Amino acid sequence: MPAAGLGLLVLVALGIVFTGLPAFVILIGVGSIGAALAVLTDTVPLSLLAALPSRLINLLENDLLQALPLYVTMGLLLDRLPIADALYRAGLSLLPRRPSAPLVSGMALGALLGPMNGSVGASVLALARVVAPRLAESGVPKPTQFAAVAVASTLGVVIPPSLVLILLGDAMLSAHTIAVTSTGRADRVINTQDVFHGALAPAAIFLALCFALSWRAGRRIPPSAGPPPVKLTRKQAVLAAITLVALLTLLGGVATGYFYAVEAAAMGAFVLLSAGFGTGALRGAVLRGVLHDALAITGALFALLIAATTLTLVLRLLGTDRLVSDWITGIPGSELVVVAIVLGAIGLSAFVLDAFEIIFVIVPIAVPPLLIRVADARWVSVLLLLTLQTSFLLPPFGYALMMARGTLRQTLGFREMVRALLPFLIAQWTVLAAVLLFPQLVHVGENASEASRTPATPMTDQELQRRLRQMLPPPPEFEPPGH
Amino acid sequence: MKLARTVSILDRLIAGLLRLAGWLVLPIVVLLFLQWPLRDIFRVYSREANDLGQWIFAIYVAASVTAATRAGTHLGTDAVARFYPGTIRRALTRLGAILLVPWALYVILGSKDIVLGSIRGLEAFPDTNNPGYFLIKTALWILAGLMLAQAAIDIAQPRRNH
Repeated sequence: MPAAGLGLLVLVALGIVFTGLPAFVILIGVGSIGAALAVLTDTVPLSLLAALPSRLINLLENDLLQALPLYVTMGLLLDRLPIADALYRAGLSLLPRRPSAPLVSGMALGALLGPMNGSVGASVLALARVVAPRLAESGVPKPTQFAAVAVASTLGVVIPPSLVLILLGDAMLSAHTIAVTSTGRADRVINTQDVFHGALAPAAIFLALCFALSWRAGRRIPPSAGPPPVKLTRKQAVLAAITLVALLTLLGGVATGYFYAVEAAAMGAFVLLSAGFGTGALRGAVLRGVLHDALAITGALFALLIAATTLTLVLRLLGTDRLVSDWITGIPGSELVVVAIVLGAIGLSAFVLDAFEIIFVIVPIAVPPLLIRVADARWVSVLLLLTLQTSFLLPPFGYALMMARGTLRQTLGFREMVRALLPFLIAQWTVLAAVLLFPQLVHVGENASEASRTPATPMTDQELQRRLRQMLPPPPEFEPPGH
Repeated sequence: MKLARTVSILDRLIAGLLRLAGWLVLPIVVLLFLQWPLRDIFRVYSREANDLGQWIFAIYVAASVTAATRAGTHLGTDAVARFYPGTIRRALTRLGAILLVPWALYVILGSKDIVLGSIRGLEAFPDTNNPGYFLIKTALWILAGLMLAQAAIDIAQPRRNH
């Protein structure tokens, strides 16, 4: 019966691709079908499904998930208030007046807004509205405009404290707790802050590469088609300066652990709301629009969470997580090989699942056994983040690409799109490979006492499997079929 | 005619509830922001702000799923299905709504003892004893109830939000 769970995962992939229905509907539908079949064939007693309501209540009272509406609201306010425009103009006025300047300024805007608005979708909306028209005015070819908007919108995935980072941090905490308890290692369990710190150096390298590539792409544009003169009013300059200081304070506060990520998000949203109400920009239809969209976008993310909770419960009752765990713990070779294989599989799932779906469905199943084999949870977290960023940019279905195509209303051929994206993808894969080969990149400035400590007495494989089985099932008295 | 009228009333009722729920994001932002100065500067009432923010958050996200369905913001890929004719797409939307019905019914019936017990006892937050924890459990019924009502509307009249 554990293999039936794999069948359910295939059904999810087919359902998402061929029905066009929301992913959460497919996840709940497939989960319900799996649960019904398991109960009807007496594989799983009906009473065990009673764990579902409690798990859903856990989601409703999860402190970290409060970040969802906060980040969504921030993203919407940044789009509705003239802040993004002021930042972009300020960046452009600081750079030499060359054809590359709008591309570099657009990339910088993506890096500044990404962590603040948290979601790739919100970043695409802001960049498409503020940056894309000016790139067009400056003679930047359509495929390059498209690539710049898509790549810049994913910078928030790796620059803390974005929503993807927070949610992955939470998923990693659960996975690492299972791994540490199962193996008896004396590690401190990873938290969201560790993931933030680990991502800083790789994010800085990728950002530097993006600036260099944007500058290089701009050199191909004829100088005659350079950007038109930028008008930066005093009001815009002040707004850009205040925003920059506020952003750096928030990012610094979160990076140093002075604020929790949720508090930083609340602070950002509060400041933006106050600015909106204070300046009169947020009233009437604009306010109602923000409230409506905040509820609807938060719902899209929360729906995925409840759906993934349903499906993963069914997979656990069927014993599929144990099957996957046996496979992963049994992969021969070094840590590097195991990590590369699991990341490759997650990368493949990115063809049909988006980053949030991967965090909610795949990570809880695949990562606990991975962390049993590989002790460095911070390294695994950052590699996962970079893989998720790749998933956003992977043609043709990457979420950032789909969003950018829809928002910019551009009809680009597949080849044109790939040609414009390729330098950025190569840069992204280079950073991924560098982190894979040099794990110390994610430990810059880390306290040596936080390193993994193996138990005094090495554990046998049988003991490890026994402990893992105790950790994984929802009700401990239930032994899934096939074991 | 009677069915169409019932669906229309239900549709307007849900729309009104969701409009009200949308405003809850404002107290969530304010309360979660206030936690930091209340904890680190004034050193009072930060737990109260947290608990209050928590149950408002629970009700907000419980309503948000149906709001996403009505606004068509759920994540999904349209790469293949956009080529399907309208009749197939409407049939698929109806199928999607049907798939949610057993789940929503199970959540409501399966949580009956947990939710009703919590409401009857006006359960307080376990750590702080502040009132309102029962509202978090009630939010589960709001979540499933709204999804069930929306599914009924979509089965009767599939919406075009692809």
